[in-house]
Amino acid sequence: MAELRRILHIEDDPSIQAVTKLALEAIGGYEVLSCSSGAQALEEVERFAPDFILLDVMMPGMDGPETLARLRERIDLQRIPVTFMTAKVQPGEIEHLRKLGARDVIVKPFDPMRLPEQIRSIWAAGR
Amino acid sequence: MNDQAHLELQKQLERLNQQFAQRLHSDLAELAGLADELRRSCTADSRRQRMLALRERLHRLAGAAGTFGFDPLGERARRLEQRADRWLEAARPTTRTLEALARAIEQLARETPGKALQAAVLEPRENPDEQPPACRIYLLETDPEAGANMALTLRNFGYLVSPLRDFTALQDAVDARLPDALIVSVQQDSELERVAQLQQQLKAPLPLLVIHDHFDFASQLAAVRAGAQGFFARPLDITQLENSLERCLDRQQEPFRVLIVDDDAELAARYSLVLRNSQMQVQILAEPTRLFDTMRSFNPEVLLLDVNMPGCSGPELAQMIRLHDEWLRVTIIYLSAETDIKRQMAALLQAGDDFITKPISDNALIASVYSHAQRARSLSTALARDSLTGLLKHADIKEQLALEVQRATRSGKPASVVMLDLDHFKQVNDRFGHAAGDNVIRALANLLRQRLRRIDSLGRYGGEEFVAVLPECSALQARRIFDEIRGRFAALSFNSGDARTFSVTFSAGISETDGRTAPGILLERADQALYVAKHSGRNQVQVAQQ
Repeated sequence: MAELRRILHIEDDPSIQAVTKLALEAIGGYEVLSCSSGAQALEEVERFAPDFILLDVMMPGMDGPETLARLRERIDLQRIPVTFMTAKVQPGEIEHLRKLGARDVIVKPFDPMRLPEQIRSIWAAGR
Repeated sequence: MNDQAHLELQKQLERLNQQFAQRLHSDLAELAGLADELRRSCTADSRRQRMLALRERLHRLAGAAGTFGFDPLGERARRLEQRADRWLEAARPTTRTLEALARAIEQLARETPGKALQAAVLEPRENPDEQPPACRIYLLETDPEAGANMALTLRNFGYLVSPLRDFTALQDAVDARLPDALIVSVQQDSELERVAQLQQQLKAPLPLLVIHDHFDFASQLAAVRAGAQGFFARPLDITQLENSLERCLDRQQEPFRVLIVDDDAELAARYSLVLRNSQMQVQILAEPTRLFDTMRSFNPEVLLLDVNMPGCSGPELAQMIRLHDEWLRVTIIYLSAETDIKRQMAALLQAGDDFITKPISDNALIASVYSHAQRARSLSTALARDSLTGLLKHADIKEQLALEVQRATRSGKPASVVMLDLDHFKQVNDRFGHAAGDNVIRALANLLRQRLRRIDSLGRYGGEEFVAVLPECSALQARRIFDEIRGRFAALSFNSGDARTFSVTFSAGISETDGRTAPGILLERADQALYVAKHSGRNQVQVAQQ
């Protein structure tokens, strides 16, 4: 598998969007495209050709799981791992999200300084 | 990343934090508005719509606030979200719970003033004069006088104490803000059942200490069922209670470190996720040959080791680890699909401490790893630290001093060395007995730990002698800090075995690094200053003349 370089981040909360982008770019050295909705992500995903997708679960309109299902119609999710971000941490919920096809789940609140390392280890674990 | 880039990053992060703080104003106002609308709406359908909207806002706040450093706010939002969830899922949602929820949301919005938010963002982290964040304790005691007395003593130890008169007040206080620990004073076991119910509502039960009129089997069982980590009979020995409080707060501090060695990446990732969600730190290693490097950098407390790996087996790896005394404190647990008891036994006889048979449920995995990690940590602490006080031993504090002196020389920022000795301690032992004397030493150790920063080192140097090393702290700052501690310590009242009370004072001497002087000399100077303090009437702090 190729090197991890490009990350697509789908998140409706502007503050979370900004801090995630900053951390992943400045600390992780990745290239990040932020999308504010599932619909926008569907438009951008093929052109941006991400190596990794970070997806918020609860969004107005098209939520995380639905976005994941629609993404699957367009790209090969075996090759591009999708990781959910959620503020809910019930064991049942995480199991459910993984069954939907997510590689992993990152729990909010998160520490921006440690996020790149977390993503790197999820990426490494999948190889 | 170089220093310049790092600084720039810190600045940008801070800017984002401030932007978030500003956004919180409007977010909270919006929440309050929605809560008000919720309360006014009459039809079942409009109530439901508004509750859904509120839940979404709360969810968002729960996820975002902690990320930007507003952890308590995020935690409150999360609990309110759960309450909204429960209302939405209830078969017969009542107006009363709706009203209560709306009130709680409005309260949240009201109690989070903008100035405090800004201050929280801009506050520098570790300033020697600044107190470490105090632990918040809720104290349930129906007798107001007893409650006030206990609160006073615990405050002198540096805890933030809210005395509460009855259970309803306790419930309200917990709903408004989670404490770090709970102390309940009860007369009957039935009162503990209500505490148990309160604990069940929470995501994780609070550390709980129980003071009970009865000291029998049934009452201790009731206490344990409510989640008690300490049990005390009356008359209360407050220093013992404080000691226990210290221990259960300490236990929560650092997450356990778990290393998984498994060539099955999928499975390792799954275990890692489960454990991380239980607030443990996890690292995965697929390549056994890098084991020792990884262990040195990560310093795990528990090792989960796959039995069958290409190259070398789990038991072989375990035996290699056991060749090194430095890793004796690490618990080794095998992961295996092996159900053959004989082969499991054989593996355990070679090395290793336990077996986990795959597949295992999430909860069983958490429970197993957690219990081993806890045991490993308390053992490790017991080995490295003085058994009475939990502080560093003589040799370790000297080593720490040498390290800090070196660091101070490099950074050019002064560090302070403090030597502290209890006044007339022999008389305490003679008059009140050694158990009382031990109590005094423990209390002083706990008080020092409470008042100093995390980066400060603290050791028990001799019988009643303590040494503290304070990096990035001048002698004058150190003097101010120890003078304050001295006042608090002198105000503590101790119980002897036979219901007499007494108090004790200490004297301290301080020296400051200057980039030239060796650690041993600095210690001597602090000792000389201590000598001056003793001869000038004790119960005082002196700074060494350079």
